[in-house]
Amino acid sequence: MTVSLLALDYSRPIQPLFAQASRAGSVHSVFRHAVNITLDDTMLALLSSELPRMPNSARLPPVVAEELLHGLRPGMQVWIGSASLRIPARDFSLHLPQTPPWEPRPGIADYRWSRKTALHHIRLLAHHLAAQPQRGGLAPLIGPLLLGQPAPETPLSRMALPALRMLALASWRRDSAGVAEATHGLAGLGPGLTPSGDDALAGFAAVMTLLSPYLSADAAPRDDIAATIARVARPRTTALSAVLLAHAAQGEVAEHLGNLLLALALPAEVSEAVLHAANHVLSFGANSGGDTLLGMLLALRALEGEID
Amino acid sequence: MVIHALLKRNTYYDSIALMSVAQAVKDLPGVVDVGAVMATSINCELLQNSDLLPVAFLAEQQTPPGPEDLLIVVRASDEAQAQAALAAAEQRLTSRGDRGATDSAAPLPVRSLELALQHDKTANLALISVTGEHAWLEAEQALRHGLHVFLFSDNVSIEQEQRLKALAVKNGLLLMGPDCGTAIINGVGLGFSNVAPRGSIGIVGASGTGMQQLICLIAASGMGISQAIGTGGRDLSEAIGGVMMRSGLALLANDPQTEVIVLVSKPPAERVASEILAAAQLAKPVVVVFLGTAPEHFATVAGKAHLARTLTGGAELAVSLAGGDRTRVPGEGTLHKYNLAAERAKLASSQRYIRALYSGGTLCDEAMLLLSEQVGAVASNIPLRPEWALAAGETFRGHTALDLGSDEFTRGRPHPMIDPALRLQYLARAAQDPETTVILMDIVLGFCAHPNPAAAHVPAISQARATAAAAGRSLPVIISLCGAAGDPQRLSMQRKALEAAGALVYESNVAAASAAASFVERA
Repeated sequence: MTVSLLALDYSRPIQPLFAQASRAGSVHSVFRHAVNITLDDTMLALLSSELPRMPNSARLPPVVAEELLHGLRPGMQVWIGSASLRIPARDFSLHLPQTPPWEPRPGIADYRWSRKTALHHIRLLAHHLAAQPQRGGLAPLIGPLLLGQPAPETPLSRMALPALRMLALASWRRDSAGVAEATHGLAGLGPGLTPSGDDALAGFAAVMTLLSPYLSADAAPRDDIAATIARVARPRTTALSAVLLAHAAQGEVAEHLGNLLLALALPAEVSEAVLHAANHVLSFGANSGGDTLLGMLLALRALEGEID
Repeated sequence: MVIHALLKRNTYYDSIALMSVAQAVKDLPGVVDVGAVMATSINCELLQNSDLLPVAFLAEQQTPPGPEDLLIVVRASDEAQAQAALAAAEQRLTSRGDRGATDSAAPLPVRSLELALQHDKTANLALISVTGEHAWLEAEQALRHGLHVFLFSDNVSIEQEQRLKALAVKNGLLLMGPDCGTAIINGVGLGFSNVAPRGSIGIVGASGTGMQQLICLIAASGMGISQAIGTGGRDLSEAIGGVMMRSGLALLANDPQTEVIVLVSKPPAERVASEILAAAQLAKPVVVVFLGTAPEHFATVAGKAHLARTLTGGAELAVSLAGGDRTRVPGEGTLHKYNLAAERAKLASSQRYIRALYSGGTLCDEAMLLLSEQVGAVASNIPLRPEWALAAGETFRGHTALDLGSDEFTRGRPHPMIDPALRLQYLARAAQDPETTVILMDIVLGFCAHPNPAAAHVPAISQARATAAAAGRSLPVIISLCGAAGDPQRLSMQRKALEAAGALVYESNVAAASAAASFVERA
């Protein structure tokens, strides 16, 4: 008997996949609380509601997710469309609720933005993150890039640091070729299913798309820079990273990152809220949270002008 | 020194799993360095810069590895150690299943009551939150094992509840629930609960958010909670007969830490209320808040019990009886901390109605009671009177209060205390309505609630006020903020962020409702 379930919630970008005629995809990867499903050149994620919402996700109650994920294997056929997602091998079908979708593009325009206040939060965040215990990935470069601290002498650091500096400089100058070259040096770099370089690029791209018009010293939009990053990275990294970078370039980000970006508009006296939101991002994955924060902070710094 | 590699095509592990395996392998004898990365071209460059590129191994591959392939590389002192390290890596990955399970040496996850009891024989309470149809069975098993039960699940029938509570009473145990949202037992919060200091005031409640409001107001006064025992919302119905409230009352009567007892419920059955009041004739002071019932109604049977009309009134009485300073409860005295008259002067002539959007049912009930006394009929999905019920498809009708935590709004979606998305849509609709005078909402903090509700609400509040302003209206937004200073969301931070968005924030629901009522003409 087919088990038919209703998702708890879902992200707006996956709605069209359910609305169109049914098409075959497959299970890409299975984790304890998540499964990624490929369909053509995109990917959607079924998550346990213990995880934050992602721009390409539908979420299930934890007990349902656990039961479902237990029996899934990469390569299993999945049918998506005609208002459902079906996994024949598991006699499972998922429907989206008749409720509005979650919007992964944070409502930046609803806030009043002040460069001065944002700078206060950014400085505080940089010090807060640089003081965290050293982890893997690119987060240890926050100190060297933003606070003038010495860089760690690791192969990853030696490769990433010049590319990150070039990314910031080229983005400020709106130099598309420079952005592409820097992306070459970062896409697919480092540990993780979404390699560290990609997570940093995603944080960077999201800021360029969402906050550039409000916080850059020249008030210029830079969504073209985010688009360049996503386009150049796509053939150089994992399919999952490529999909998430494409969302980031559209300003579509995970729930915890969206909350942090919005928190940057809060008054300076509630900077605790910003640190609180940053800690949520930091706790994501082994290195992904820290890498994303590095990219986000670097982008915010780049919007201020030429970086040393 | 030798380099050996393992390539797993189209294989994905989460970062934590890969990091853990790499670290474990690095600690093996003879291993100098380990790399575990997706085989992107730049990661191959990274391996080369780390003296880890397995040149010969890669040359042997018929198809070069790509970004979707996992490459594990080991540099070790000799062949045997390198091979052993790779075998260990593969074994660790396999033993984790294909989903990055916890360390293989870790104990099996506990999946039954029996296993849980084997795991810890000292446990004396079970928290049950499973699908409703199975909940009664788990609860009965727990009671038969001698455990008190906190039954978070709903959809337990009246007959099952009667049977479970009879069994609990027979065994001298508590059956908190079903559909019990809140408790604090020996300082440990269960379900939706707040971080309150230990103290001398004990609570037994048939109302989750009602208990949370009491706990937070008492904590704000500097006093503390000895125990907070939930009973489930139906406990004071005719069918259940207040069985658990009487059990809780008896426990607190004999608890040396408890000096004052507070009983709280939504409107109880008449006979049950009288029986509870009869049982409340104790040496210790007992404060009773039966929301929706005027204290005078029970004046003849109240005896020594102190009757309060509102949660705030109940908190003030309890604090006072416990030797605290009732003026430190942030109650109606805080009403004029904002210049409400100045806000009122900005309203347009079209603005006539209060729109209340609640996530807590009891808080919504309490607000409706106060509002209806001051402004007349309040339409609702949980109406105080049948004629005030909203019709199907009707969102607002005159003064309106919605309980967005009730079943019709939470089917297939998280409760608004956890995910306010639906409520924010109602907020936007209320803001667009030129007849809306003021918006009243509750935000409940504590465990299980949204981790940062201000972050979720501030943009929507700003947008709502901007929408009204664009139409030439001022739109006051009043928040009843139910939280304690120790809550993980940080009460002061939440208050500041909401105030920064222009909201008027009260910790007492009574004060919030009174402030809202002050914006409209009296009925």
